[in-house]
Amino acid sequence: MNELEKLFNRIVQRVNINLRELNFDVNPFAIELIPLDQMSKFYAFYGITPDHPPELHFEHSAIAGSYFLGKSRVRNSLLYKSDIRGDELKHKDQTISFKNLTLTLTKDEIIDIEDSALIKTLVHNCSHDPETLEKFFIKNTLAMDYSNIHGSPSDGCFLAPYATVDLTTMRDCVIGAYSYIQAGEISHLNVDPGTIWVNSPGNFNFFYKYPLTLLDRYVSLSPDKVPWGILIDFIEERKVEFLRVFDVVNLEAIESIPKTSSLDRYAVVLPNIKIADNVLVSQRAYIENSTLGQGANAQENCFIINSHLEAYNVTAHGAKIIEAELGSGTFVGFNSFLCGKKEGRLKIGAGCVIMPHTIIDIEQALEIPANQLVWGLVRDKEDLAKNSIALEKMSGIESSFSQGEMHFEGNGALFVKAFKERIHHILEANGAFFADGKNAGHAQKNQKLSLNTIKPFQFGPMEGMYPNIRILP
Amino acid sequence: MEHYLVKDLMVPISEYAVVVVGTPLIEAIRVLEKAQEVYTVSKYQHRSILVLDENGHIVGKISQLRALKALEPEFKFNDEIAEMRKFKFSETYIARLQDKYRSHRKFITDSVLREAANKKVEEFMQAPSPGEYVADDCSLDAAILQLTAGQHLSLLVTRDKQIVGVLRIADVFAATFHKMMTLK
Repeated sequence: MNELEKLFNRIVQRVNINLRELNFDVNPFAIELIPLDQMSKFYAFYGITPDHPPELHFEHSAIAGSYFLGKSRVRNSLLYKSDIRGDELKHKDQTISFKNLTLTLTKDEIIDIEDSALIKTLVHNCSHDPETLEKFFIKNTLAMDYSNIHGSPSDGCFLAPYATVDLTTMRDCVIGAYSYIQAGEISHLNVDPGTIWVNSPGNFNFFYKYPLTLLDRYVSLSPDKVPWGILIDFIEERKVEFLRVFDVVNLEAIESIPKTSSLDRYAVVLPNIKIADNVLVSQRAYIENSTLGQGANAQENCFIINSHLEAYNVTAHGAKIIEAELGSGTFVGFNSFLCGKKEGRLKIGAGCVIMPHTIIDIEQALEIPANQLVWGLVRDKEDLAKNSIALEKMSGIESSFSQGEMHFEGNGALFVKAFKERIHHILEANGAFFADGKNAGHAQKNQKLSLNTIKPFQFGPMEGMYPNIRILP
Repeated sequence: MEHYLVKDLMVPISEYAVVVVGTPLIEAIRVLEKAQEVYTVSKYQHRSILVLDENGHIVGKISQLRALKALEPEFKFNDEIAEMRKFKFSETYIARLQDKYRSHRKFITDSVLREAANKKVEEFMQAPSPGEYVADDCSLDAAILQLTAGQHLSLLVTRDKQIVGVLRIADVFAATFHKMMTLK
């Protein structure tokens, strides 16, 4: 047994020990999932930028195809094609308000990954846990394909494919495939696949669960099989384009990009695209025959194909937009799959909020009026009527309501406000409002980004492992 | 009374209503009625049915409450309520949801009864919990504590790892309070 296999076994054991109370064994999933034979084939890379100087520490780990930005430490872990983005971490002396307390950071925050395996996972944002302000920890955790750990410290958890945990500290939890959880803090929770849960205790509680028989078409997972479904196939079919951008050392620059916009070197861009000012296209995003209007963004693992995004559109991590026209200010949440057809396009009006992990998969043209909240599975007008509500009507809810498989309790106005404020914050952080040298965000700062690569041992018992490395500014 | 053992009051398994997994509800009720007809030891009739797997092991129990639950057109509604609790919805919200559900459902219709009649026992039976087993040589005092602590209506009586009978709360109740009435 080589070092990589030993490391893998150790991580699986650690995750299982944490999940013993839930009686959940990750071993059958992990065996098929983690491509140990691929770990020596891909280089890792990291960004150097004056705004986020690298402070990286790799120890006894394999990090094939993974990307690092900012400050992070990876120990006894296995990362495969994952993005560890430390460009929104907190800084020393920054103050954080929590209830009636003002907390001051004693040092810069770090992403600290230990005894974990992350496969095609995005780690971003910062710890929102007041108990661990300086450390965004991920330990004893296994995250599978296209999962997102967003501002969510994790200890002893399993995230199935396309699971997202957002702004939530999690301990000893299983998050099912295509589930989205934003709940502040969770522990010892086994979340079924396709669960969408947004809970702000005392303010609001939103819950929707996909009918499993319908979700299975899109993403499925069972022991001893690699994940499958439309969402998995969709990415597999476009894999070859990513191989090209990762294989070529110097890609030809695209001249038509405005100076205020940023197109990542590891994004796939296929003709014909139009990119306006203040647009951010992140690494591993895929843009084909589409228009991104002023201030729009396409975050990691996004696909935008044959579509038009008017302006100030947020396409959150992992969202996919195909054959669609999006009005100004529409928000498309994490891992959403909006799939129009050439003969039946999808039109989404201005100001709509498409909840994280929404699937709109239509055969005939569908138009969503402006300022709607949309969730769950939408295949036609009937589904849309069941799984949407006008934001204005939502704001008027004062106690509770349920519609279809969706349950809501609390103050609708606070729910809408929280979403709108967060959308504004995302646009701001991404540089959508940059003007006259002010309000610079990722779109502008990433232009000062250069990339370095690091490679693993190619032979011997350490094959696939990386040497211990410290990179300091 | 203090010398009573569980085996003195239990109903032997051979006299109890027993069906195997795969049995429809209607057939299980017939078995229960038949068991009631032939059971004359006590004036208290059997009220539940035991479910055996293909190896003869007891895997579930159907009380009157569970049988009535089988009438609910969407038995999974109870799972939904459990899920609402798991995901932090308030008891007020859950009560409102139950009211809404009840106001939209009618149980006693021919089609609901016909559908429920064909439901398999395993769909609505209750699996025995670890606290529902008692040894046949256990004292009645200990068995009473077990019944009250677990709020059980009966306990499965074991001997050498085999289920040999059922200790019913009605028999324990009768024996206990008969004793009480003999006291001066």
